[in-house]
Amino acid sequence: MPRDASDLLHGTLDVLVLKTLSWDTMHGYAIAEWIEQRGQGELVIVDAALYKALHRLEDAGAISSEWGLSENNRRARFYSLTPRGRALLRAEAATWKRYAVAVGRILETG
Amino acid sequence: MRRAFRLPGTRHRIERELDEEVRFHVERRAKALEATGLSPEEAEAEAWRKFGDVQDLRQYCMSIDVAHLQRARWRERLDILGQDFRFALRQFRRAPGFAAVAAVTLALGIGATTAIFSVVNGVVLRPLPFDHSDQLVELWGLDAKGDQLHFADPTFDTLAASSHTLSAVAEYNEYGMSIVNHGEVSRVNASGVTKQFFNILRAKPAIGRFFDPDEQRPGAPMAVVISDGLWTRQFGKSPGVIGSTMRSGTEPITVVGVLRPGQELPADVDIWYARERYPENDSYTAHNWRVIGRLRPGTTVAQANHDVSTVLRRLHDAVGDATWTFDGSAVSLLDEIVGNFTILLGLAFAASGVLLLIACANVASLGVARMAAREEEMAVRLAIGAGRARLAQQLLVETSTLSALGCVGGLMIGAAGVRLLLLLRPELIPRVGELSLDWRVLVFAMAVSAATAIALGLAAASRTARGDLRATLSQSQRMQGGGGASYRLRGSLVVVQLAMTVVLLVAAGLLAKSFVREVTIDPGFRTRGMVVASMPFDTGVGANGMARRTRYYDDITERARAIPGVTGVGVSDAAPFAGGSSNGDFLILSNASVTVTPQEMETLFRDKAHTGWATYRLASPGYFKALGMPVLEGRVFDDGDRAGTPDVAVINASLAKKQWPNENPIGKVVNFGNIDGDMTPATIVGVVGDTREEDLALDPEPAIFFSYRQRPGSSTGDMYVILSTAAEAPTIRSARQTFRLVRTDVPMRFQTIEDIVGRSMGSQRFMLLLVGVFGAIALLLATLGVYSVISYVVAQRGRELSIRVALGASASEIVRLVLGQGITLSLVGAMVGVAAALGAVRALKHLLYQVSTTDPVAFGAVLVVLCAVGLMASYLPARRAARLPPMDVLRAG
Repeated sequence: MPRDASDLLHGTLDVLVLKTLSWDTMHGYAIAEWIEQRGQGELVIVDAALYKALHRLEDAGAISSEWGLSENNRRARFYSLTPRGRALLRAEAATWKRYAVAVGRILETG
Repeated sequence: MRRAFRLPGTRHRIERELDEEVRFHVERRAKALEATGLSPEEAEAEAWRKFGDVQDLRQYCMSIDVAHLQRARWRERLDILGQDFRFALRQFRRAPGFAAVAAVTLALGIGATTAIFSVVNGVVLRPLPFDHSDQLVELWGLDAKGDQLHFADPTFDTLAASSHTLSAVAEYNEYGMSIVNHGEVSRVNASGVTKQFFNILRAKPAIGRFFDPDEQRPGAPMAVVISDGLWTRQFGKSPGVIGSTMRSGTEPITVVGVLRPGQELPADVDIWYARERYPENDSYTAHNWRVIGRLRPGTTVAQANHDVSTVLRRLHDAVGDATWTFDGSAVSLLDEIVGNFTILLGLAFAASGVLLLIACANVASLGVARMAAREEEMAVRLAIGAGRARLAQQLLVETSTLSALGCVGGLMIGAAGVRLLLLLRPELIPRVGELSLDWRVLVFAMAVSAATAIALGLAAASRTARGDLRATLSQSQRMQGGGGASYRLRGSLVVVQLAMTVVLLVAAGLLAKSFVREVTIDPGFRTRGMVVASMPFDTGVGANGMARRTRYYDDITERARAIPGVTGVGVSDAAPFAGGSSNGDFLILSNASVTVTPQEMETLFRDKAHTGWATYRLASPGYFKALGMPVLEGRVFDDGDRAGTPDVAVINASLAKKQWPNENPIGKVVNFGNIDGDMTPATIVGVVGDTREEDLALDPEPAIFFSYRQRPGSSTGDMYVILSTAAEAPTIRSARQTFRLVRTDVPMRFQTIEDIVGRSMGSQRFMLLLVGVFGAIALLLATLGVYSVISYVVAQRGRELSIRVALGASASEIVRLVLGQGITLSLVGAMVGVAAALGAVRALKHLLYQVSTTDPVAFGAVLVVLCAVGLMASYLPARRAARLPPMDVLRAG
């Protein structure tokens, strides 16, 4: 079932985008595809929210964008991680892991 | 090298790119859905559905991206500026000499302009420290010749009653007064003011109050408002001053209020009291009062001027010859206070502006040399794709950095200059206490620097923009430093510099010549080794008063004579350049037994054959000898002339020549009782030489001297004891001690006549010094200019000169060749300068004494100096050229 980004905890989508871009420079669609594949269909993202996150992250200086040509020679905007984004990813990922562990622990005590 | 990324241009563009991005995404998604078996239409609809709210996304992204873009642009601009700034600093480090000379030159120009502007600001621009001070006016009566007259009481009353443009008017005056505070005597300036005075100014007391109606009636005890200065000096700013009493003579005076600092009017007054304590004088010719007024809201000074003129002309029509006031005028109070100084200041400001232009021309000319050396760099950078705008910006940053340095230096010089001005001539500059470097001066200095930076930057950039790339690149191998165009530009900048230097130097020369003329005028009295002691005038009213005064001055004279080194002692009611003497019409009588009443006098004055005009003076027997005034005919006073013997008078040569051109004035009888109230006729017994005592540049005025032993005198000012001596300083010390022994309650002030004369030349000296200093700086800069342009020529023509040497030209021929260029430059500069100076120095006309603005000596001297400097400045590079080892240059070429 698709979920809106606002349903996810704040910043979850951001950290996923950063993680995705840490692999390679990608355009928006590729990012969405990548996340959906890695999430094995559990994480279906609303596309509009993804683009919001991209522009937000670019504004924050975590990623930068450049127009280039896609695999099938279409003009597309490619995003890549900046050094600041890389640092942000490290910090966010660590937080997220601690958080997930905490939430999991609570759920298991049921 | 930095990645040159391009930013999307507009808001519109951001929108388009976002749409494109979304479309790409949806198309890819639709393709993927098609692959799962959906029809193209279904796939696209599903893709859009999955995408979510596009409108919301667009709004969200726009708000972020526009701000982001703006920030990015600013960041980039600042980045580039920072780069340019660092580049400029690198350039300066590479050529520290150029940077230092340019910055110092600009600092001189900016500093001079800033210093003068701070005076303009403090004196002229800043309003007077009163509420709505633009409504304040000074009013004047005008006599038949149109000269300004003070007001008489009835004239003032008429004006107060009939003016419709003024909401209120007030009389005030100013004179010296001795006050005793805690047993200590001091001399202050006092001013009697009528009821409306402080209301008109809208002044506020710092503490206490102004006058009560009870203090503003005839015979009321004396209540005074004192200045902040007096409060500080004598009461240590204690609030307890209110209600405390001092004495003036035997009269107690009570302090009721203290005025705020800066609100003193007239400026050097320390004590104000209610003028109503004394009765009004019914005479229309007792011109004792100055008058201020406040304009009704909405009226102009011009309207008030017209109004006052109408009222006073109507008054003259009504009372006729009883009044000498024919007309009247109104002047804004600021103009009245600042007055003539504005003209002086305008000239000084213009001179500083010229200096700034010279400094700019100098830096521009230096800059052209640098640009010439960098032409290749610029051409290469243009060739590899730097935009011209980008290069222009870089040059602008360079010149701005220079100007900023110049601005800082200029402010320091300006601050020092203001301090120097204050040290030099405080009393010349009105409102001098209000001078400071405030924000307006700061803004002015920065604006001047910015204008300088832009002018210099544009000048440099326009050359780059015009430069022909290929020509520069191909010729740069052969010729370091630009072609003929660059020489022409630099040459003309130097010519401009030289020309403006000529203007300043000619102005300085004219002022100097006039100054010398004026100080070498024979004033008609001795100025060296003369000491003047001034003390309050003893009116000596009544027989007892006269006797007491005579005893006092005789006693002082006796003691002064005993001081070692003193060769002559005189007492008089006026000292050179101290003012204070009265003048007016006098009657010529057939013999000494004719008696005239004051009422008859007015009618008798209509008989011009028996009326003369002169300055009324009191003098002691020793006065003429002490001042070194020659006795031309008859005798001066002696000890036989005293109370009880027939009144005698001594006149000066001017009066003798004017009144009795073909007769012997000795034995003529005059009545000058309208001035001193004593209607006893006096017989002329002698003629003395003329003196110029008010203004060296003016012709001597006719004068009649009376003996202080016989006549009461008229002065409300001071009495002066004048001593001729071998040594001034010890005489002042001894006199100060011994005069105190006669009377301890009389405050005294000692000066030398040389100081007084020097002060009277204050404005001339000020202008001379200012223009002289500016001229000297200008000459120095112009010398630098000539030197650098000739050095540049030598460098440029090095190859040609070497070939000449190789072909057998002698060193002196080479020197002559280069010198020729320097002289040509100087001569052209001089010609242009002379033409400009002929026009510009006309502004100095009224400052010059017996020197024409086209004075050939001043012009000639400046031309000689300029050519000499031109020669000197080109000689060094010329000699360098002559000593070049020819083979080195040829090989290097």
